[in-house]
Amino acid sequence: MRLYDIVVLVTPDLADEDAAKVAGEYKKILVDGGATVVKEEPWGKRRLAFPIGRRREAHYVYWQVQSEPAAVAEAERRMGLSDQVLRHLAVRVDEELKRAAKMAERLRKKAIKRPPRPPAPPTEAAAAPAALERAERAERSES
Amino acid sequence: MRMGGGSGRPGGRGAAGKDAKSGPRKKFFVRRRKVCKFCAEKLEYIDWKDIKLLQGFIPERGKILPRRISGTCALHQRKLQTAIKRARSIALLPYATD
Repeated sequence: MRLYDIVVLVTPDLADEDAAKVAGEYKKILVDGGATVVKEEPWGKRRLAFPIGRRREAHYVYWQVQSEPAAVAEAERRMGLSDQVLRHLAVRVDEELKRAAKMAERLRKKAIKRPPRPPAPPTEAAAAPAALERAERAERSES
Repeated sequence: MRMGGGSGRPGGRGAAGKDAKSGPRKKFFVRRRKVCKFCAEKLEYIDWKDIKLLQGFIPERGKILPRRISGTCALHQRKLQTAIKRARSIALLPYATD
């Protein structure tokens, strides 16, 4: 089982309820394929960043599902065939989330081990080498 | 030996001139150190659904803000890049605007 983020863009030509129905079909395909829906967020009718097929907005539906790859593949295939779906996107997120959690954990441990040192005043650090250089140059020009 | 001494002198003069120029310039031009936003805020996962976050890295033209300007570290820039591209594919962000 893998965790997926899935977004479907349904045509704005349909009313809200009809669009929800269309999206529901794909959800059914996923669930029938053994998926469990973790999150479901209808984002509603949103303006598109660019027109798709002369349409300037679309009904966005988002799910996060725990599913086998086959069910997602099948749902995506059907989305591609439908005229009512403008765009769709399914992204596997479990591995990225896991990696992110690991990184966060590592950062946390590091912070405990080594308390953050106060940032050194930058003016001093920057001025010191510059002054040294100037002194060197003065020496050189003298000779 | 003479040649070496001769070439050293104009070099020294040139450096002195540069010093005089960069003196006042330093006063006006204080470069702020750029810090990777994601490292600073400890955001490890860059969510492609978080448009508000991504929009900060999209200048007017719609392109992805380069690392050299935003100061994002290489690792996070790469993640940011895929997140922006995903958001673009479902029309959350533009590919280009004019």
